[in-house]
Amino acid sequence: MSDDDKKVSERYRELPREEPPRALDDAILAASRRAVQARPAPLVAPTGRRRWYVPLAAAAVITLAVAVTLHVERDRPGEEVDAVSSAMKVQEAPKAEVPKAQAPKVAEATRAEASKPARKEPQPFAAERRADSAGALSAPAAPPAAEAEQRNDVGAASSGARVMRDERVRAQSQMARTVEQSPEAELERVARLRAAGRHEEADKALAEFRKRYPDYRIAPAMLEKVEKK
Amino acid sequence: MLAYRDGDAGAFEILYARHRGALYRFVLRSMKDRAIAEELFQEAWIRVIEARERYAPSARFKTWLYTIAHNLLVDHWRRKGLTLVELSDDEHASPDNPAHQVEARQTAARFLQVLEALPPAQREAFLLHEEGEMSVAEIAAATGTNEEAAKSRLRYAMAKLKAVIDE
Repeated sequence: MSDDDKKVSERYRELPREEPPRALDDAILAASRRAVQARPAPLVAPTGRRRWYVPLAAAAVITLAVAVTLHVERDRPGEEVDAVSSAMKVQEAPKAEVPKAQAPKVAEATRAEASKPARKEPQPFAAERRADSAGALSAPAAPPAAEAEQRNDVGAASSGARVMRDERVRAQSQMARTVEQSPEAELERVARLRAAGRHEEADKALAEFRKRYPDYRIAPAMLEKVEKK
Repeated sequence: MLAYRDGDAGAFEILYARHRGALYRFVLRSMKDRAIAEELFQEAWIRVIEARERYAPSARFKTWLYTIAHNLLVDHWRRKGLTLVELSDDEHASPDNPAHQVEARQTAARFLQVLEALPPAQREAFLLHEEGEMSVAEIAAATGTNEEAAKSRLRYAMAKLKAVIDE
């Protein structure tokens, strides 16, 4: 800028410095505030396709998470088998030997053991377990076979669980039969009949025993009890 | 302006305080009618407010603001049947009578008179230079012309105003 230009600028700046009237200022500033209040601009102004990115990504993540969770929950047969077999072991072993007074405690422990893994299972299995527990509580005096049948009747949602329970029922009834049909037990029964004076029934039972166990050698002490004097 | 675009009303008040006086004088001295000048001044700011969501900092805010004001002035002159053509020295006739000139020489009013009598394009270039503190390149950008034309207009305006000082 030359000296002449500077003189012109200086002379211009000597002119009155007029300002807009106050009313004009107020009107403009009010308009600016109204514009902001009416439609606040977003922090990051989304334009075009970008406005769909966030909701789409959120929906995709949620859908994927739900699908994976359901898939994982359904595919856990190993845990189910372990849980049921451990419950069977606890239930079966003490039944023959534990005295009657301790039986409820054992049953309770068995139920508790069986209910532990149910927390990890999906809803249908858990419901089934609850139904089993309810059945056991309502009929505590039921024999093992009947109880097993009752459990079987509750209805199974999954075929895997049903198969496992059937196996358990079979094992229990087999055990019951074994106890009932042992020769010693049969002889005891005959002895009881004989002692009670029911000789006809005792003779019949003994004959049947001999037919069933032709090779069985009856101990002399027992022979004295079962044979007709 | 970016802060205002993002919802900060206070940012606009700062911008307005910074540019209000210069823009007002630019518009006021570009035309003789004060009422119309105030109307155009307000209209310029309303356009700034309305364009806030589309605002992208491709140029300085000041250049953008004066471009809006320039366009409003051009529209106004077009409505009045006037154009922003460059006028030669011969076309620029002195409007004042001798008595008034003698009196005006004593005051800054004389300077203002000559300024108001400048051809619109030269006056605009001068006002952008003085009020907007713009370079030749910025004047060219704000008025939509090339730098050579902007430089020429500014030089003519300076020469005529200097002549008043030298009288």
